[in-house]
Amino acid sequence: MNDLLTKINNVATQKFGAQYAEARAQKMYKTMLTLKEERVEAAKQGIENGVALRVLVNGAWGFASVGSLDRDILEGAVSDACRMAKMASSRLKTPIKLAKAKVVTDRVESKPKKNPVRIQMKEKIKTALTVNKTSLAFDKRVKSCTVDYLDLTGTSYFVNSEGTSIEQDKLYVWARITASAQSEGVFTHSREEIGSTAGYEIFDEQTPEDIGEKVAKRAIEQLSAKSLKGGKFPVVLGPSVVGVFVHEAFGHLAEADLALSGGVLAGNLGKKVGSDLVTFYDDGTIEGSFGAFKYDDEGVQTQRTLLIKDGEVAGLMHNRETAQKFSAELTGNARAEDFRVEPIIRMRCTYMEPRDQSFEELVEKVKQGYYLKSFRGGQANLDGTFQVGIQEGYEIVNGEVGAPVRDASISGNTLETLHKVDAVGKDFLLDAGRCGKGQTAFVCDGGPHIRVKEVVVGGST
Amino acid sequence: MAVLKEDLMVSLAENAVNQALKKGASEAEAYVYEGQATNIGIELGQISKTNRIIDRGLGIRVVASKTLGFAYTNVIDDPNAIESVIVRALNAAKASKPDPEWKGLPEKKPYASLEKTFDDKVVELESEELVNVASTMLNAAGQVDRRVFPIEGGIGGAYISNGIANSNGISGFDKGTIMECSMATLAKEGNAVTPVCFEFNASRSYEVDPVWVGKEAAKLAVSALKTKSVETKSTTLILTQFALQDLLAYTLINAVRADNVQRNQSPFKGKIGEKVASENLTIYDDGLFPGGLRTWAFDGEGVPHQKTAVIEKGVLCSFLYDSYSAKKEGKQSTGNAGRAGYLSTPSIDTTNFHVSPGDRTSDEMISEVDDGLIIYYLQGAHSSNPVSGEFSVVATPAWKIKKGEIIHSSRGVMLAGNIFEVLKNVSLVGGNERQIGQLISPWIQVENVRVIGK
Repeated sequence: MNDLLTKINNVATQKFGAQYAEARAQKMYKTMLTLKEERVEAAKQGIENGVALRVLVNGAWGFASVGSLDRDILEGAVSDACRMAKMASSRLKTPIKLAKAKVVTDRVESKPKKNPVRIQMKEKIKTALTVNKTSLAFDKRVKSCTVDYLDLTGTSYFVNSEGTSIEQDKLYVWARITASAQSEGVFTHSREEIGSTAGYEIFDEQTPEDIGEKVAKRAIEQLSAKSLKGGKFPVVLGPSVVGVFVHEAFGHLAEADLALSGGVLAGNLGKKVGSDLVTFYDDGTIEGSFGAFKYDDEGVQTQRTLLIKDGEVAGLMHNRETAQKFSAELTGNARAEDFRVEPIIRMRCTYMEPRDQSFEELVEKVKQGYYLKSFRGGQANLDGTFQVGIQEGYEIVNGEVGAPVRDASISGNTLETLHKVDAVGKDFLLDAGRCGKGQTAFVCDGGPHIRVKEVVVGGST
Repeated sequence: MAVLKEDLMVSLAENAVNQALKKGASEAEAYVYEGQATNIGIELGQISKTNRIIDRGLGIRVVASKTLGFAYTNVIDDPNAIESVIVRALNAAKASKPDPEWKGLPEKKPYASLEKTFDDKVVELESEELVNVASTMLNAAGQVDRRVFPIEGGIGGAYISNGIANSNGISGFDKGTIMECSMATLAKEGNAVTPVCFEFNASRSYEVDPVWVGKEAAKLAVSALKTKSVETKSTTLILTQFALQDLLAYTLINAVRADNVQRNQSPFKGKIGEKVASENLTIYDDGLFPGGLRTWAFDGEGVPHQKTAVIEKGVLCSFLYDSYSAKKEGKQSTGNAGRAGYLSTPSIDTTNFHVSPGDRTSDEMISEVDDGLIIYYLQGAHSSNPVSGEFSVVATPAWKIKKGEIIHSSRGVMLAGNIFEVLKNVSLVGGNERQIGQLISPWIQVENVRVIGK
């Protein structure tokens, strides 16, 4: 395969004078299941083979994607990419340059304890059915439960015109479980996601029974939850909410492409933007975690990247183009969802470093506020406005966690909010998730419990 | 690469169905998809990237003793690959569990002829021309105000075709084009950065106005610079199509899907014929809307698209069905089986979700508000409760209207409530309709929405 890709790159550099060319091929297999209640909607299998070709001609990018491994078709596609890049380069003010990357030759094998490819479809259906049944049996007010399962396995190939040649196995196991409950006109909804790059053994660590019960329990508890009062409040955030906060509120701003687009972090490198308790990492090296890999889709080795240290901005996440612009070290954050799209800067596993407080210590100093335990979605904006939706939360009254509250969200300005983090827990938890930035990336995020002096809580009363 | 011809697409699908039946399937359906797209991208204020994406594939759904299997491949030029995908689908079905409620694939029905869904000019786009259009848009944005920074945008055209066949005699082909240009900007002054502002044009034919897109995106960003906080209270909102699309996609649209209703996941269950919204509100799902971005001859199962009344003058009229959910109730599918190309099995989705317009212009609507907010973009709508319709989102930004005039923008304003209450409080529907995603709608004015200021 890599010989073929080298030949295609040569067409770009030799025939069209491309300064740089890369070819990324994939041979991937997917197994998918959707279960609604105890009905298997469909057992699904897919094959996706294809090649992404990216060239830099006169400082402009050309990209072509085709679902074929045929040499003639690939030569045609790379020629198109070169011609289009040349055309676009006519209006360039600042030609694109790439930071120097180490030339690598490597073969990366995945070594799952339980390879999803060797697990029979029947077994996968059984696992999903167990989640489903447990959830529905938990309480008769649980009205529906949907399980989506995906495993993705195969090999990706990367060759560039600088001599890098990588063959890397890919393995992802993922499931999303949602349940709804209904009683006396009140409707609730609860969701969980699990994901791993280790193997099917994820279901030994998080058993289908536990997952089913967790989702159902939340849906039932929410039935008696009350709408909350909107306004500014002190909050204690659970690890899953902290993870989404780190990812959405800070992580996206620390993606160098968004920083360059005018995001509020660009002018704050090396500056203090948060309390001393705030240290964040983006880490691609945590084995088995949902955001882990060895080489990114520009052939750069992944690493643990320090984003903010004791409140001071320490670094950004880069691809080769932005690392050149910032004269920064490469961080290995260029990822593409598949052969159909170009690699862009994406997070891996983004988390907050724990400190020394117990959960009780965090809660006891809150007179009137909320404990926000689990999230439902979140989103950030370049001006630093963040929003995190909450699917499970509780009142805190006089230092005690009280009655459940429903469907709230928190919002604020990232740089103001980081200064308001006034206590950080000693526990630590990571959650698997998916991030959308035009493409979907499998990521992980988390941290300890934390306390924030004040955020805006959006409630309807 | 030349596009695949109609007869080839259809025969690929028909042959796959026949082979599946020979190999033991009791029913089969094959869906063939081709998409070819060309785009010129703007990044960090300049035209610096281009792409050309060709995606083709075949997905096959088989039924064997009431169990369903599905498999797809993007290798369609090799008969062995097609054969192996059929075997995979059958194996998947064998491993699966029978569905006692399965009542068969849909039957053949005639397709309507469509207007304004295909334009040869989009298929024949030259990258040189696209670069010129992108450059025009970029210059238009740049001329509005020097505080504006065009972050990203682009222009592109796509050709899409679908072929379908099933063992009940359905055999169809449809092709269409989509052209889009868009621009995202923000404005900076001193240390202040506005949220990202966005405009776009999308059309089924070669009809885009890059100057308008560039200018509007820039003007919005400039108007977001002057910012003041607003008070916490319940107030009047004008929801533009951006905000409405975001909110409805995660709430109302879930509630009118027949599968959600059947699964007790919709507050609308049992409410057909009842008043569920303000009488100012009439909504059709119209898969045949001339020039609509989701206008096609048939849905993801080969069932003809149609126009379905969802809400008429506030009264709930019908849910949206695919053939599975329809057969469960002894009804006809409304042609609402959506499909992600060849990659997925069908599932219920809207076509063009059309809110019937009134007659007020944008200016008239603003001039009639004494005290309220106009909302363009929302942050966090996807975190709404998809069942209960409760939302808690941030307007990025909101603009304050006082005595009929927009006076300033406001950051970090949160809106919270329940979409089904909001729909009852629609006081005015404008005449300024446009399409954003699946939604074709004018602006709407709603009363008494909870706003949490800073």
